[in-house]
Amino acid sequence: MVFLTIAVFITTVLYGYSSVNKNMANTASLLPIIITFAIAVFMIFFIARRYQDIKQGQPLEDERSKKVMTKAAATSFYFTLYWLLFISFFEDFFADQLFKAEHLDASQTVGGGIAGMAIAWIVCWLYYNKKGKLI
Amino acid sequence: MDNRIKEFRARYNLTQDELAKKVGVRRETIVFLEQGKYNPSLKLAHDIASELKVKIDDLFTF
Repeated sequence: MVFLTIAVFITTVLYGYSSVNKNMANTASLLPIIITFAIAVFMIFFIARRYQDIKQGQPLEDERSKKVMTKAAATSFYFTLYWLLFISFFEDFFADQLFKAEHLDASQTVGGGIAGMAIAWIVCWLYYNKKGKLI
Repeated sequence: MDNRIKEFRARYNLTQDELAKKVGVRRETIVFLEQGKYNPSLKLAHDIASELKVKIDDLFTF
């Protein structure tokens, strides 16, 4: 998890740096940076929580936390299917509004799909961990 | 499924944290169990009942 967070941070910084170098610091290039940064911040919060748990002598995982993970993964998977359909249906709209282009290229489509998947998982995890009835 | 964990826990002056450590789960799990927002596995129900020295039937009501 620590390695993954560092990797996400490095990728965000490199992408931001290359965007600025290419004079692409507009809404279209800032959006993925903001989304990736938000994901990295959540991961830091997650790691800090785990670190506190270790200090308090609590187990990192138990049957409920595993169930939360599974349920969050399952729900975000369904959401992602709709999200990918949404991207493909409204591809022209996104391309025009965000990138002023006729079509999205492969990296933009895949990037949007992955970012949506990550955000969906985070939202589902937060919901099930705080409010969800796991019955 | 309702339960009387809180009631039996009070008899032994156990905190949620102490009970959680005794049965090897996170404190939130005990919190959600007591609020009726989580149904435990049979093993966890058995472990909690053993720690609180009651039968599973007395601890959980259907």
